[in-house]
Amino acid sequence: MQTKTADSPGPTTVEGSEARRERTAITAFGALVVLAFLCLGWRCYRLQYASADHYWQLSLRQQCAYLPLEPQRGAILDSRGRVLAASNRIRTLFADPRIVEDPKDLANALSPIVDLPAHEICKTILDRAGSRYAPIATGIDAGQAEAVRSIYGVGVEYGWQRHYPMGRLASHVVGYTSTDNRGLGGIEHEFDRELSGEGARHVFFVDVQRRPLSFAVGQRSGDNGMPTNGDSVILTIDATIQQFAREELLKQHRAFEAEAAMAVVADPRSGAILAMVSLPDFDPENIRRTDPNHLRNRALTDQYEPGSIIKPFAAAIALDTGVVNTHETIFCEHGNYRGRGFGRIGEYRQGFGDLTLREILQHSSNIGMAKLGQRMGPERLYEGLTLFGFGKRIGIDLPGEAEGRLRPPSAWTGYSITRIPFGQEISVTAIQLVRALCMLANGGRLVRPHMIRAIAKPDGSVVDVRPPALRLGYVIKPEVARWVVQDAMTAVINDGTGRRAQLDRWQVFGKTGTAQLARSDGRGYEERAYVASFMGGAPAEDPRIVVLISYRRPNYALRKGYTGGTIAAPVAGAIIERTLTYLEGPQRPPATEAIARSGRP
Amino acid sequence: MCFALVIFFFAATLIVAVHMRSANRRAFYTLRTYTVEQRRLQQELWRKQLQVEVLTNPASVSQRLGE
Repeated sequence: MQTKTADSPGPTTVEGSEARRERTAITAFGALVVLAFLCLGWRCYRLQYASADHYWQLSLRQQCAYLPLEPQRGAILDSRGRVLAASNRIRTLFADPRIVEDPKDLANALSPIVDLPAHEICKTILDRAGSRYAPIATGIDAGQAEAVRSIYGVGVEYGWQRHYPMGRLASHVVGYTSTDNRGLGGIEHEFDRELSGEGARHVFFVDVQRRPLSFAVGQRSGDNGMPTNGDSVILTIDATIQQFAREELLKQHRAFEAEAAMAVVADPRSGAILAMVSLPDFDPENIRRTDPNHLRNRALTDQYEPGSIIKPFAAAIALDTGVVNTHETIFCEHGNYRGRGFGRIGEYRQGFGDLTLREILQHSSNIGMAKLGQRMGPERLYEGLTLFGFGKRIGIDLPGEAEGRLRPPSAWTGYSITRIPFGQEISVTAIQLVRALCMLANGGRLVRPHMIRAIAKPDGSVVDVRPPALRLGYVIKPEVARWVVQDAMTAVINDGTGRRAQLDRWQVFGKTGTAQLARSDGRGYEERAYVASFMGGAPAEDPRIVVLISYRRPNYALRKGYTGGTIAAPVAGAIIERTLTYLEGPQRPPATEAIARSGRP
Repeated sequence: MCFALVIFFFAATLIVAVHMRSANRRAFYTLRTYTVEQRRLQQELWRKQLQVEVLTNPASVSQRLGE
């Protein structure tokens, strides 16, 4: 029998310690439970608040599908609404080389559908073995897209492709785009923001097979809306006149094997450019294979010494400032004019004695012009040329315009005042010459050449009418401008160097120019390297169009000629004739004749 | 009896709700299909217009006349 001793623990003590252990265990368990709930609460807080966005995005990624909608790039149209550039949706068939098990089988399956040799398709896939995208055919139709749907490892991608229906015709004006449809040249570049439009995105809840069930809530502005297509740009260029200019320019360009050529046709009353051609040109749909040198719009970027075509402007300034009148004669030194500080000046072919201003222009006398320059002095000549717009950009709506070079009178030497009046020691761009000619032809009124007629929304509403407001102001007196155009410049055509631009139906006015090309080191001029030019317009009594033609480096060795009168004048005549006939429209019989033929009063 | 009716109407309401939901999704899917088809046809028309432009522009007319 067990006996109790005084120092042995009794039942009460044992129960008490068990109870304490139980309490401790319960407390610990309770604490653990509380801790677990706190952890759960913390986790809930993380899920619901702290990291809510992250998990919301993860969840949306699983539930939603996103459909980016690229806007259609706006069209570029000519003045009569004909399409010069436009975007069209195309399908591109591509393969995913990483999941294609047997490229040969795939190529054999695709070959009859897309009408491409199987070995080419196979090569395309193998060449891009490491990537996930190998484009196989661009521009497949709906039937082909449907036929490849069941083939594993290929997909059809939709995108926009830029088309230039007129090809090379207005390539320098219209420009070109990159593969991702950004404008890189011409109007495409200058009006890229207007043409681009704004994209959108559709967000759908999708089922397990990724079929859309309904629109989901958009996550950013523009979601679930429609893309805003780009605006269309309407140019002042007329594709028909552009074709006349290019065709005529190209004929002579080939015949004389010139390095480059340019033609600009403009309306002198408004300054609207009706045609602008630069050769050599390029195919805007095949820009990768184009010589970068051909991308330059030479009518804007090339600055050159104009030679004799600047004489009418210098003569107009001289008349306007009153240093000469139309009846006065100037002694032209029989072709040999020397003097201290300006060296020797000769004539192009033969020397002349006394000439009136009209005869100076008609025979293109360098000495006569040099003497006019001396009479005017640097300040008046400089101011007059600046008013005509030389030496500064005109700000036409195309990129890459050069500003030419007209030094201030303080930098002129003794040579400058005698050389600038016949087109040396000054460099100009074709567009500057056109602007100056417009001002001469419209009676001396200021104009700014421009190319944009309007900008229109995709629905056809016009949002921006661009022709600049006619600026009030005259650079020379109207009677001086009229005399230079109707008297002196018509004499150049009728009895002078521009005979080859004569037309039966219209009185043409103009001026030829043959400038030597300056050496690149700035020391003198190159041998047998010329710029042959002609500028003019018609009809002289009320000019409707003006034309500038320039050929750079015609092949002298051909012995066909190299002067502006030989090369450029006939081209200008042909362009003027075709353009005026076109602008007149179809010939209708006079009203009285029509009534007589119909037999009714 | 009353309980059975409640259960019946409750079940009917759920079935109608599910039906309307799937009908809504079918209609949405059909609408999307037609929208896409409409855009495709518009593009097809625009493509044809561009083809006409290629054939009738002054450059190609001039070239054909020359030939």
